[in-house]
Amino acid sequence: MTATSTLPASAPVTAGTPGRPGLGATIRWELRKLRAQHRTKAVLLGALLGPVPIALVIHAQGRPPKDTLFGRYATTNGFALSLLILGFAAQWVLPLLTAVVAGDIFSSEDTHGTWKTVLTRSASRAQLFTAKTVTAVGFAVLTLLVLSASTIASSVLVGGHQALTGLGGQLIAPSTALKLVGASWLTTIPPTIGFACLAILLSVWSRSSAVGIAAPVVIGMVMQLVGAMGGVEALRPFLLTTPYEAWHGLLAAPRFTGPLVEGLLTTGAWAAVTLAVSFALLRRRDITGG
Amino acid sequence: MRRSIITAAVVLLVLAGLGSVAVATGGGSTVTSARLERSLTASFSQVYSQQARLLGHRGVTPASLHAKAMCDNGGSNVGPGSSWNCLMSFHDPGNPMPTTGYGKFELNVHSNDCYTAGSPSTLVGFQTITDKQGRTVNNPAYEFDACFDPGSSNEPTGVTFPSALTITTTALTPDPQGRATVAALCGTGADGCVGSITVTTHGQKLGSVPFHLAENETAKLTLPQLPPGTKEADLAVSYQQGVGSSGTTLPVQGG
Repeated sequence: MTATSTLPASAPVTAGTPGRPGLGATIRWELRKLRAQHRTKAVLLGALLGPVPIALVIHAQGRPPKDTLFGRYATTNGFALSLLILGFAAQWVLPLLTAVVAGDIFSSEDTHGTWKTVLTRSASRAQLFTAKTVTAVGFAVLTLLVLSASTIASSVLVGGHQALTGLGGQLIAPSTALKLVGASWLTTIPPTIGFACLAILLSVWSRSSAVGIAAPVVIGMVMQLVGAMGGVEALRPFLLTTPYEAWHGLLAAPRFTGPLVEGLLTTGAWAAVTLAVSFALLRRRDITGG
Repeated sequence: MRRSIITAAVVLLVLAGLGSVAVATGGGSTVTSARLERSLTASFSQVYSQQARLLGHRGVTPASLHAKAMCDNGGSNVGPGSSWNCLMSFHDPGNPMPTTGYGKFELNVHSNDCYTAGSPSTLVGFQTITDKQGRTVNNPAYEFDACFDPGSSNEPTGVTFPSALTITTTALTPDPQGRATVAALCGTGADGCVGSITVTTHGQKLGSVPFHLAENETAKLTLPQLPPGTKEADLAVSYQQGVGSSGTTLPVQGG
């Protein structure tokens, strides 16, 4: 307190909470911690470079992987190739890339025993929670954008940009196909944010980065399995993995967006519940024990 | 420890709640025969027109085909699975329908409202075709993937096709009393197969056997006694319900 009161008048001090950094400063601090981690760089680099060999390998297959959507044309059409990779990525790659940061951002303070340091002096719990959540979600979206751009670019370069046969049997002109493929990748942003919030909850609850990173991937795979089973389709709207399939409607003829809207509601509910529980857990936590 | 138990209890409660929702709504699948019938006719019309363009056939458009389909999974006609069959007729002057009036398409339908359809090769050819420039290309209509809107109309389309009766026996083997059986298969379709088979040998009418088969049913029909020394028998089939060949001539073994 005494240190801030002696600051020169030109130094901006957030009104109301003298001596406490604003949300912006807390986020900047979280970003700095993120940048210092090798894991973060590895994930971004993986998202940028990973699709190139994957596109090359799939394109070189003698027999197209027909059992997956768009696999039929994946070896002869770049747009189909990028959509095949999208279907595959949504199974576990996107939850994993997201959880690498979101599942660790809270529990790393436990691992390093730094909760006391970050909470007692510099920022409130609410501020810290918001900053960490914004950082984790921001990183998830950034990784997804890098992965999308890299996959679409490498697929189209490797596989070519012929007209695409859509999910209504219709031929889609290359320029439209490119837009629809980009839009399809973007539709995975909501469920990916949902998985980031789930990873945050697991990270806060378990205080373990291993659980925070691995559990969302496992839960995601279980949801995939449940969603693919016959007889329990009534559960599909509640699963966090169902919105990952909403892009199918964009490539059908006529286009339909019902699943997209439903997916937004689902992920919104998941995000709200997981974040609320996470914050409740964090606020009630006794940090004095270290 | 206490925290883990509470968490496990909450997870179990949530799962039980969701499970009862699933049971209460009776599966709640969006995969129904009406939606498949609408989607399959639309997507097939598209891929068949693509094939016609590759082959250089003029005048084939999705609208000109007037495709009609009837889908059936051999059970409740709801829910995903690989047992869906669709009978479809369409109008292409250069490619008339077989005598039954339709072709049989096999569908593998997934819970996410997407399916893979396999077309009958008698109507659309094989995996690869030769295009109008003489190149070997992939046949877009041979097998294709499509997805339908889970919010699309679920009103029955009202399209029905008769079942087709097939006699699967290729030779008659009479027992010492001269009694022989023929196996008949009644395929997917509405109302099954009803009619009779009249047996004639050497220009002499021996009598007739009625048949009454449900769809997807096979039956062994015992023919009237064949006189000793019969070399072959003519079977004439008449239908009250169902379609199929009007008759066949079968050789008699050991006659």
